[in-house]
Amino acid sequence: MAQAATMASPAAPPRRTPGRRQAIIESLAGMGFAFPAFLLLCLTILVPLGVLVWLSFTSYELGAIDLNYVGLDNFRKAMADPVFRRSLTTTFVYVAIVLPGSVIGGLLIALLIHRRRRSRGLYEVIYFLPVTSTLIAMATVWMFLLHPRLGPISGALRAMGFGEVAFLSEPSLVLPTLAVIGIWQLVGFNMILFLAGLSAVPRELYEAAAVDGCHNPIDRFLTVTWPLLGPTVMFVVVTTSITAFKAFDTIAVMTRGGPMGASEVLLYTVYLEGFQYFHIGYAAALTLIFLAFILIFAVTQALTLDRRVHYG
Amino acid sequence: MIPIRENAGRPTPFAVRLGRWGGFALTHAVLIAGAMFMLLPFVWMLVTSIRPQAEVFESIFGLLPSRFAGPENYGYALSKAPLLRFMLNGVIVCAGILAVQLLVAIPCAYALAKLRFPGRTAMFVLVLLGLCIPIQVPALPLYIGLAHLGLLNTYFSMMLPFFLSVFAIFLFRQFFRGFPDEIIHAARLDGVSEFEIVWRIVVPSAGPAIAAFAVFSVVAHWNDLYWPLIVISETRLAPPALGMMYFNDSESGANYGALTAGATILTAPLVLTFLLARRRFIQGITMTGLK
Amino acid sequence: MSFIRRLTAAAALTGLIAGPAAAQTTLDVLYAFPSFARFHEPVAAEFMKKHPDIKIQFRAPAPSYDEGHQTMLRQAMTNQLPDVYYSGYHLLAELVRTLVKRGQIVDLGPMLAAEGEAFRKANYADRIQALGKVDGKLYGMAFNASTPIMYYNVDLVKKAGGNPDKMPDTWNGVVGLAKKIKAQGADVNGMAYDIHGWPDDWLWRALILQAGGKMLNDAGTAVAFGGETGLNALKLSRRFVTEGGMQPIDWDQSRQQFAAGKIGIYFASPANARQITDLVGSKFAFRTTTFPVDNKEKGGLPTGGNAALITSKDPAKQKAAWQFLKFVTSPEAQKIVVEMTGYLPTNIKATEKAYLGGFYEANPNFRAPVLQVERSLPWEGYPGGNAVRIWRSQRDIVTAVMRGEATPEAGLERMVKETNAMMK
Repeated sequence: MAQAATMASPAAPPRRTPGRRQAIIESLAGMGFAFPAFLLLCLTILVPLGVLVWLSFTSYELGAIDLNYVGLDNFRKAMADPVFRRSLTTTFVYVAIVLPGSVIGGLLIALLIHRRRRSRGLYEVIYFLPVTSTLIAMATVWMFLLHPRLGPISGALRAMGFGEVAFLSEPSLVLPTLAVIGIWQLVGFNMILFLAGLSAVPRELYEAAAVDGCHNPIDRFLTVTWPLLGPTVMFVVVTTSITAFKAFDTIAVMTRGGPMGASEVLLYTVYLEGFQYFHIGYAAALTLIFLAFILIFAVTQALTLDRRVHYG
Repeated sequence: MIPIRENAGRPTPFAVRLGRWGGFALTHAVLIAGAMFMLLPFVWMLVTSIRPQAEVFESIFGLLPSRFAGPENYGYALSKAPLLRFMLNGVIVCAGILAVQLLVAIPCAYALAKLRFPGRTAMFVLVLLGLCIPIQVPALPLYIGLAHLGLLNTYFSMMLPFFLSVFAIFLFRQFFRGFPDEIIHAARLDGVSEFEIVWRIVVPSAGPAIAAFAVFSVVAHWNDLYWPLIVISETRLAPPALGMMYFNDSESGANYGALTAGATILTAPLVLTFLLARRRFIQGITMTGLK
Repeated sequence: MSFIRRLTAAAALTGLIAGPAAAQTTLDVLYAFPSFARFHEPVAAEFMKKHPDIKIQFRAPAPSYDEGHQTMLRQAMTNQLPDVYYSGYHLLAELVRTLVKRGQIVDLGPMLAAEGEAFRKANYADRIQALGKVDGKLYGMAFNASTPIMYYNVDLVKKAGGNPDKMPDTWNGVVGLAKKIKAQGADVNGMAYDIHGWPDDWLWRALILQAGGKMLNDAGTAVAFGGETGLNALKLSRRFVTEGGMQPIDWDQSRQQFAAGKIGIYFASPANARQITDLVGSKFAFRTTTFPVDNKEKGGLPTGGNAALITSKDPAKQKAAWQFLKFVTSPEAQKIVVEMTGYLPTNIKATEKAYLGGFYEANPNFRAPVLQVERSLPWEGYPGGNAVRIWRSQRDIVTAVMRGEATPEAGLERMVKETNAMMK
């Protein structure tokens, strides 16, 4: 039981070993191990970010020879820009649908197939397939499946008595539809992560719980599984919400922000400004605002969940 | 005193058995419904890849085409675009990325999980920051940098932005935190260096995590299109996703048969990779008496 | 130090390319739309047969004109421009003006003049040549050209009482016929004019220009469609939906629906002719014909497509590139292009019997753009470098009008205001 207790609180800080020499070795080793990652981080993230910050204070256009400094103008413009504000809302709505959908979906499927012996492999492959799909082909496929006249989904709806639904051409429907496709893409990924987490829950705990009077699956889940899945849940939630926030590919290929901007998410607006209109300075400012939002979002989540997992 | 349930040892009553059967049926009903949702696009993809162009938009339920156009579509796909070359490029790039990702992330994750060193929290925050940054953000500055170094249009340029996988650091850190400290301390007392601890003791137990991450990494970068399109200007270096564009562009519309045939050819290796890694993954789990 | 390294590398590379026979020149060529490989490669192969001392090497094609444009701008910054690039007409002016400022593009006027006036007159129509001119100078040789055409389902037209041999050539006529087609069946759409989904303003321009209107005033400082022309165009777009039985769906889905036999009249690029022919198969008979033009004297159509321009700095390569440009706009090369795509040939001689004559006899559906070549007008962008953004906002307004969410009057007012603001 003591071992289980140690397992149950993996976040316990490493016991301080005696000896200053050991502490120095640890520090040096730690810094040495982290150094390559740190170097790459600087090169591929911090330096480009620095360049972006510099660019955001200019009015640089791609291909131009000169550039002017405009101070905080770009940021002021962004805050007042209705297109930017609209894409902010759109992104939040998208995340609000995709996050619960794919996390709960992934968890549910993982729980259901976790104990199966024969069918588990098959289900794992089936649910993971969408993660392997290549977007350009899938975009074509989904556009056909969702075709209001020719597609099977509309066909099924018609057979059930509803009228045709133009999933991708109705401004009010396009975002939920894209969110469902987003969930389709992510469920398998989250399922794998949850399966890994579930496999770390020792079987003895379930037996012990059964002996303690916990018989039905819901009780088992709440008493044993859920608390131990804590770190995994946190990880899945944070990465899924970041992924959802970064949504770009499906929108770029399938709806290009339409109809009438109803599916224009933040990154797509940034892409348009930077790579279609070539307002690099402005796009840089938008990117920084985007980063600020996503950081606040992710860090808040990480801290809240971390606290709940280890102290709640 | 461990309480003993009264029913222990008696044959299970009918109601309970029915309940269990109901549970089984319900479980599989849900799983199968979900599976159909997952598979629907793939079914259409496969069916279309063997249909002649004229029948592409026939009802999906009339599955058998009048003419088996499989060889035609697949042949066209393979001949009109150098798909095999693209796949080779995919293999090279994904393997390179994965190798460096593991080499960089594992020590860093171990350090963050187990070692006390100055700058540890700052490093973790930076890692979290990296997780939030999509490739579009550093794209232009990286492009200019690579151009100045004359490194554009190389395999290296396709791999560089992805060498650092914060997802890997995050994933392995969570995993390593669960690794028992006693073993590490015992090894230290035995005089084993930190470096060896990482690679000889901790990493072998992380098999499942590494397998899972490998799958994610390969899948993510096999389908990469945005970044390679910026740095690559020669077809001989192009990744698989570029191949898809040969059969579908907004100007002349898609050759659906060839497009889906090409997509099937390009997706197949990914599915295989997953199948192979999956068994290792499960093997690793059943083996962990350590847990 | 790194400059010397780069210089040596470049010298070595040139040495490698030039090879032992110093006469071999290699040209780096970039085009948009990977599926165009199907005619670029055969054309290049033919060229290399005739000019064994010039090698054509294609860079990885850009996914679209817009992406190609971005690639060119990026590569201009890092001095890695290709030798030849095929720029979309609507982006040509922007690209040329940027490159001229940096001294990275070649004026083709002198090279063409050196060929002699007789050569020019025999091969290139003035209207077609105008497509490659920017600020009065010739920078691009028109390679692909297309004007919007009308596809129609012969069976549906007949059932609605129309005459497939004499389709209406005014918009009122078209909408009227579409209405009758729609009345035939619940799951049939009368027509589709996918202006709301088109990636650029081609179809919108077509509506304005065919009525004899102009997009910009003569000074090029403000829009000129703010009056009746623009209003009629918006009202017409709304009529497509209310009377013509059109559903504003995605343009790919629209094409699929036409190919499935569920749309009567469909407007698109002649470049789709090959794909539609394959998709339709033998399900029904379809034909193409010219775009309806209300103003028969002044009406014109925007010409889409691309022109080849030379961005090489090396005089030897520039000469080789000119040879290449001459070839790709020759009747032989144009024959290859048209047979694969349905585009309008950009060489006068190409339509003669010796080249495409027989092809057009056998494939009448590909002939439509040729029949309206006299209506070709250049497809310019807007000054100020915001063409893409302008179209996106215009498209949102047109979509709103089509869906009935805005009146044509209000929509037009907004359009004029926003476009003028973005032209600065």
